Amino acid sequence: MRSPETETIRRPSLQALLSKEVREILSGRALWTMLLLLCPLVGYSFFQAVALYGEASAAARDQPVLASSLSPLDGILVPTFGAFYVAVTLLFPFVAIRALAREKETGTLKLLVQLPYQIRTLIVGKLAAIGVAWLIGIFPVVTALFLWSSFGGHLNPLETANLILGHLLYGFLIGAIALFAAAISDNSATAAIVTLAFTIGSWVLDFALAGQAGALGWISRLSLTQALHTFEQGLLSAALVFGICAAIAGFATLAGVWLHPGVSLRDKVVRAFIYAVVTAGLLAVVTQLRTSTDVAEDQRNSFPAADQKALAALNKPLIITVHLAPEDPRYVDLQRNVLSKLERAVPNVTIRLATAGQSVVGSASEVSYGEIEYSYGGRTVKSRSTSHREALPLVYGLAGVAIPAPQVGQDYPGYPLVADGWIALPWFFVALPLLITGAWWLSRRVPRIPAQFVKYGGQT
Amino acid sequence: MSDNASSCEHEAAVPLQVAGITKWYGKERALTDVSFDMRRGEILGVIGPNGSGKTTLLETVAGLLPADAGCILWQLSPLPRERRRNVIFYLPDGLRPWDDQHVIHVLEFFASAFGKGFADLGKATRSVGLEQVLVKRICTLSKGYARRLMLALALLTPHPVVLMDEPFDGFDIRQTREVMALMHDVAARGRMFTLAIHQLSDAERVCDRFILLAEGRICGIGTLNDLRALTGQPTAGLEDLFLALT
Repeated sequence: MRSPETETIRRPSLQALLSKEVREILSGRALWTMLLLLCPLVGYSFFQAVALYGEASAAARDQPVLASSLSPLDGILVPTFGAFYVAVTLLFPFVAIRALAREKETGTLKLLVQLPYQIRTLIVGKLAAIGVAWLIGIFPVVTALFLWSSFGGHLNPLETANLILGHLLYGFLIGAIALFAAAISDNSATAAIVTLAFTIGSWVLDFALAGQAGALGWISRLSLTQALHTFEQGLLSAALVFGICAAIAGFATLAGVWLHPGVSLRDKVVRAFIYAVVTAGLLAVVTQLRTSTDVAEDQRNSFPAADQKALAALNKPLIITVHLAPEDPRYVDLQRNVLSKLERAVPNVTIRLATAGQSVVGSASEVSYGEIEYSYGGRTVKSRSTSHREALPLVYGLAGVAIPAPQVGQDYPGYPLVADGWIALPWFFVALPLLITGAWWLSRRVPRIPAQFVKYGGQT
Repeated sequence: MSDNASSCEHEAAVPLQVAGITKWYGKERALTDVSFDMRRGEILGVIGPNGSGKTTLLETVAGLLPADAGCILWQLSPLPRERRRNVIFYLPDGLRPWDDQHVIHVLEFFASAFGKGFADLGKATRSVGLEQVLVKRICTLSKGYARRLMLALALLTPHPVVLMDEPFDGFDIRQTREVMALMHDVAARGRMFTLAIHQLSDAERVCDRFILLAEGRICGIGTLNDLRALTGQPTAGLEDLFLALT
């Protein structure tokens, strides 16, 4: 016998779940506190960025070469979003943790898991609410962008959208880690420690393992902060986007594994291990994707258009052997100016680090140290330059291709602007905090009883 | 009467059977071979002192805790843990769900989750007397109103079996009577309640049958008269019977 009533609970309302989750986030103080702290953080960063950009612009007023190096992406967007990044790293976990930890602490989770929602639906609902919290959190940054536009500042839609996408993915990643931490922890404090271990641990990875090769280099690339650098450089990379999405899905799935009621700890550990392996496999696959788009207006991640076209036509494998230690500044230059661009432009390129695992001190005495070997079609040529102006002619020579003539009129003009950013200070330090406090007060107001509810006699 | 007909009658009258549930917390045994059944329209009381395993039993039956042995049968078929939430709903003790939210919002959420409309919501609200506190935050409710809210949530669920942990804790005498009457009314329409109660006087007034639990073992099970017959004390109250059997 199946109770006819149980049939009605098969398609529960998703809107009701999402409303509940959003209300839960809004009713906590963590979100509003984060918003209030974001105001001075973002405001001061923006004010400083406008001031410094103005100083640089004043110097570049009569020098077009200097002006072409003035990009609002580097000068305004990245520093302003930098404050948001700090808040999302250090404060947003407390907002996201609330989405689950509060229910665990109060025992409400025992009710929630009995409702006719799948566990994955509950997790998606919580992630969606975290997304709403992120959208509310980015409001101060958006107002900074409007202010910049009102000053007459230039914003390239593509590179701005790319940067916002990077921060959105980063926010969701932090949210997913926070959910996972809340799922495996008994209380908010432990969940916060676990989440901060991931975020602050990333900073430690950045400092301790930067420039390392081999396994240490691979570990350093797991740093969460590294995820944003690519977006900040105006590069939209499929490997990075899908990699972050896979990590978000992985942490969310692991959180779900821990929420299943009535499952023994041993079974949860086994399931979590299986999902972690699957996620790692997925990450390994998607990070092999080489598709990327240079959305930076100054095309800083690409060679000039004529070179890009000529390099794309090279159909044999190009092998580059670098005799430089990874922490050598010349290697960093080479990587930025030549290697990363060649990887994007040439269809088949392999880069080998001959000194992998060695330090500058250990390798510098070798005669070949500093050499870069380019091999193409059975021929090899060596260079010590880290500039594309010397490297590309060598590659063209190996391939027997004529050096393409530069296309005129494609130079990035730069967007110098001397603006007075003082108006940002009263906005971010007075008006916006007052607005946020008002919104907080409104969110605490007594709810209206639905008319239908009164009609059916639910309230006298 | 054929075997089939007899089986169907049993299935209809005793839809839920708990068979040999054993539960360990590490090296400590919390429940030992607990077996009982639930009959349509009855209120079953699980009686026992603190630490006797009442809450563990309810949470294990509801599928919120894994059992180390035993099974649950629903209409003579095994009811796996994943499907128990289609049949059984468990209300924990002392819970103030989503305590920063308003009463009306939590009620609406529950009603929407179970596909109930405003008519059902209004009925549940009226039947437990929550009309006056709908716009209050749950954290500001008195203990009695928090209990009423939980009861309203239970009424909004469509599950045939409802397990409640200490449902009368926090109610005054009048409220306890009202809630007991409400439970009898709901049970009369076919739903089954299992209540973990430590107040024996409350249990004696509301329950049709009793499970006496001590140190995770069942010491006695049946109606008051069954227990009296078991102990040979024809006029004893539940308290005396409990002391005699544990």
